[in-house]
Amino acid sequence: MKGRKNSSIRSYLTIVTAAAGIVATALIPPCDVLGIRLHRTVVLPGLIRFESDEAESIVEYEADIERLEEQLAAIEVEEPTVPQPAADTLAQEPPVQTRFEMLFETPVGRGRIASVDEIEEGIAEDFVPIEDFDTLPRTRFEEFIDRMVDGQPVRIAFMGDSFIEGDILTADLRDGLQRLFGGCGVGFVPCDIPFATSRKTVKRRSAGWDSYSIMKPKAAPGELRDLFFVSGYISHGGPGADTRWQTATAYPTLDSCTTARILLISRERSSIEVTLDDTLSRRFDMTGDKALREIRIDHPYRSVRMKIIDGHAVCYGITMESPDGVRLDNFSVRSNNGHAIFGTSPVINREVDAVLGGYDLVVLQYGLNIMQPSQRNYTRYRDQLRDMIAYARRCFPRAAVLVMGVSDRCVKNAQSGAYETVASAEALTAYQRAAADSCRVAFWDTRRAMQRYGGMKGFVSRRWAGGDYTHINYAGGRAVAQALLDAIRVQAAAARQELDIRQADEMQRMRIIAERYHRRDSIARAKVEVISNMVDTIFDRAAEPITETRQM
Amino acid sequence: MEYPILADNLPQCIRQLLLYDAGDPITLAGGFFLMAFVVFMTGYTVIKNFARLRPLYVLLFSLYFYYKLSGVWLLLLAGVALSDFIIGRCVARSKRHGRRGRGWVALTVIIDVAILAWFKSAGLFAELIDGLYGEGTLDLGKVAAPAGVSFFVFQSISYVIDIYRGRIEPLSRPTEYLFLLSFFPKMFLGPLVDNADFISQIRAPRLYISKQDVGRAARLIAGGLIKYAVIAKCLGVMLVHPAFAGEMGGGGFVALMAVYGFTMQIYCDFSGYTDLALGVALLMGFRLPQNFAAPYHSATITEFWRRWHISLSTWLRNYLYISLGGNRRGRIRTYINLILTMFLGGLWHGVGMTFVVWGLLHGIMLALHKIWLAVIPGAQTVGYRMPLWRRIPGVVLTFHIVALGWLFFTAGDLSQAMGMLESIFRDTDISQIMPTLESAPAAFALMAVGYAMHALPASVDRDIERGIIRGGFIVQAAIVVAAAWCAMQCSAMLAASDMAGGGLPIYANF
Repeated sequence: MKGRKNSSIRSYLTIVTAAAGIVATALIPPCDVLGIRLHRTVVLPGLIRFESDEAESIVEYEADIERLEEQLAAIEVEEPTVPQPAADTLAQEPPVQTRFEMLFETPVGRGRIASVDEIEEGIAEDFVPIEDFDTLPRTRFEEFIDRMVDGQPVRIAFMGDSFIEGDILTADLRDGLQRLFGGCGVGFVPCDIPFATSRKTVKRRSAGWDSYSIMKPKAAPGELRDLFFVSGYISHGGPGADTRWQTATAYPTLDSCTTARILLISRERSSIEVTLDDTLSRRFDMTGDKALREIRIDHPYRSVRMKIIDGHAVCYGITMESPDGVRLDNFSVRSNNGHAIFGTSPVINREVDAVLGGYDLVVLQYGLNIMQPSQRNYTRYRDQLRDMIAYARRCFPRAAVLVMGVSDRCVKNAQSGAYETVASAEALTAYQRAAADSCRVAFWDTRRAMQRYGGMKGFVSRRWAGGDYTHINYAGGRAVAQALLDAIRVQAAAARQELDIRQADEMQRMRIIAERYHRRDSIARAKVEVISNMVDTIFDRAAEPITETRQM
Repeated sequence: MEYPILADNLPQCIRQLLLYDAGDPITLAGGFFLMAFVVFMTGYTVIKNFARLRPLYVLLFSLYFYYKLSGVWLLLLAGVALSDFIIGRCVARSKRHGRRGRGWVALTVIIDVAILAWFKSAGLFAELIDGLYGEGTLDLGKVAAPAGVSFFVFQSISYVIDIYRGRIEPLSRPTEYLFLLSFFPKMFLGPLVDNADFISQIRAPRLYISKQDVGRAARLIAGGLIKYAVIAKCLGVMLVHPAFAGEMGGGGFVALMAVYGFTMQIYCDFSGYTDLALGVALLMGFRLPQNFAAPYHSATITEFWRRWHISLSTWLRNYLYISLGGNRRGRIRTYINLILTMFLGGLWHGVGMTFVVWGLLHGIMLALHKIWLAVIPGAQTVGYRMPLWRRIPGVVLTFHIVALGWLFFTAGDLSQAMGMLESIFRDTDISQIMPTLESAPAAFALMAVGYAMHALPASVDRDIERGIIRGGFIVQAAIVVAAAWCAMQCSAMLAASDMAGGGLPIYANF
């Protein structure tokens, strides 16, 4: 070996330096580079983890029903003459032209009327039903179903945590409902979010905003902290701030939107440019006002771009939809267990509700962030959930409420190393059900629906869930959405059947009256025919062509 | 700002980290291995010149790593080592007494093949029993097969046959033989080593590592991480798996891209992991044989098998093909031997029709190429002897035959493979291209990078290596850190987007 230099020390130095370097990469904070989200890299995540002090500033909101009532009372005092104050404030004084429409108004039709057979097709036999604890003769949830099957436009606020982030679950639920009952579009999409996310159901590109999450309100300047509504995010921008939303084609019901509403507050005079499909643009000059306003677009579009030209404004986001059918808004807020609703402004919630024509259903999907593997008693959370339901009801007066039970979750057993379902999930579900019961709202057991596929373990083995045994992915969301859809469809089918019978009776009655007139006065025959045609047109199924009735 | 926080119950976490965990076996690309390797190297550098102690020290770590990888199957490894060590000595003794020792060789082949056959077909066996007596009668699913069983069994067979053929003398110490089988860089996915050469390396009196070795090791480790933990992992999770599961929609273009994707994935996965093994061994002063040499550059199928999984094809040639008679029993027997060898090679991957088709495809193609060589004047075995006009179509054709093989190799069953083939030929049109590319842009970009890297001529590779060697240990450590950081980013990104894939290499199943 003489004469050849032995580099075994060099070999050792290399590996030690490399190892030290690899460990040191943990010091690179998570950041965005060229639109790519970089994560923190920890060599042995089992031993060391990184926690931010920002996380410590996550606010725990307490329910303050008194304050809620005070605030709502205050706006009712301002406009004592009208029952729905927020709605009418807007209707009374449209300060500026904020509509972006076609030359010809788009006809607002009825949603799709699905037949009983169509609704019932393919419902799993062992579906998990919705448990409705409402005691009204016609429960609020049933009223929502009635409106939906009758082809009236309905709007659903699906509030949840990271479980539905990225439109997981809601994308397929929306798609299923829209296929049956009409409607299109992804619903609400935030203007900008303080961290990088992506949704399969919409493309969003934003720049120049200062955005804040309701979970970390201390990051936001004081005057903005009271402006959150249930979407959980606000973006404040000055000249140059812009966002472009583009419809996606992941589902067939997503990309034929004709309506969009940009929700914003412009407290000072501002000028906003809205561009459709990167070609058609219009400028809206807003006067200063503290109320929530919309810029409404009635024009078919693939993309909407909003840019602040002058002044400052707070923008919440856009709803991309059609004027009819089902609109489902995904309001997911990471690491929220539902309490964040207490931090939202009841006034702005009401205003949003009024601007968007009223929510018909509020879904509360929470619990993952409160569940501890060893904890069995969730009394405090049950009481909190009751307050959440009460809060939601006050903010969205027309809406029925559906509480979703916590999803299944597995943790690693320290001894055997195997993943086991946490027992606390069952306990938490029971408390959630109890809260729904005492508030007389509807409840759906997510865990039971997941157990059909072997629970979270089955989801992971099907690659429907991530390796954390907590969060499902799109494929898993599809399965859960399908199960929830089945439960809704069972009720819808019953409602449709009832409606069919009622309408058949009504039609019969009208026919008899018409015939009586017909016999009495032959001169009025022409008029009667017109009436009869109208009756038929109104009550006939959309499936039957109108020409047939004309031929009668 | 974020602060590091130690786990709450540190002692228990450390204990859990050190114990075998079936859900998280050790791999050369993992963080635990890195830390353990630093510890190992510290001791190794101290005792580098104690010729007797050094193998024992390595053996100790090898056995621990095997335990971390496969748990109680450590006993099987030790059992195989002991039995073949004894049989090896018996063979040598009968040779000294003038007998040939065929019986002993037969015994070792029977034992080893029985072990392999059991683990390869246990699933099938359980299915059969379940079919007869109802679901769950025989639950073998919980017992993971021992990791790298094929590799140490093959190594063990070759050891006995080498003694039988008189190529090597039997080892005198069982620990030395256990070292040969369990050497930790190669214990999981090979490469299979030449016994004579490796034994001489074990017995080397002094640890000798050249400056070039360190540079080469850094290049191998960095390249291996990029190939294995970045390209292969991402391709698998983002493109190949969803495409084969039908999640990317139908259409011939998706199917075609899935096949090309898997062709790159399996190369990056396997060769990347082997490169890691080679690099780690090189840092310890062991030179393992090269296992891959840009296989998709091959212009003929014969050349492909000289560039793909070289250690296994060499093994198959030396110990199976030659044992079957090789090419010394006439032309027809040669063809049959080729097809039979590849057929058995296919079965080795798993008992199933898809692997049979894969093996037969390669066997028949090899035989056809042998006929081609005999019939066509001027036909060549390797690409660099061909004129360009023959070489380029040769490369394209060979690549597609191999890709066709991979389609069968990875498909769930024959009907899926046939279905995808049909859709490639019947249902591909230009309009599918853009939507498919847009559906997983990152995956396609990585695939392009993979093929581009693979297309680079070997001279560029050598230049890069020379540059790294010249750069000194700071550059070498830096490229390893950069590659490891990319790999960790990748796995964090995949985990964050709920797309975490299996943590093990594809060949871990075989």
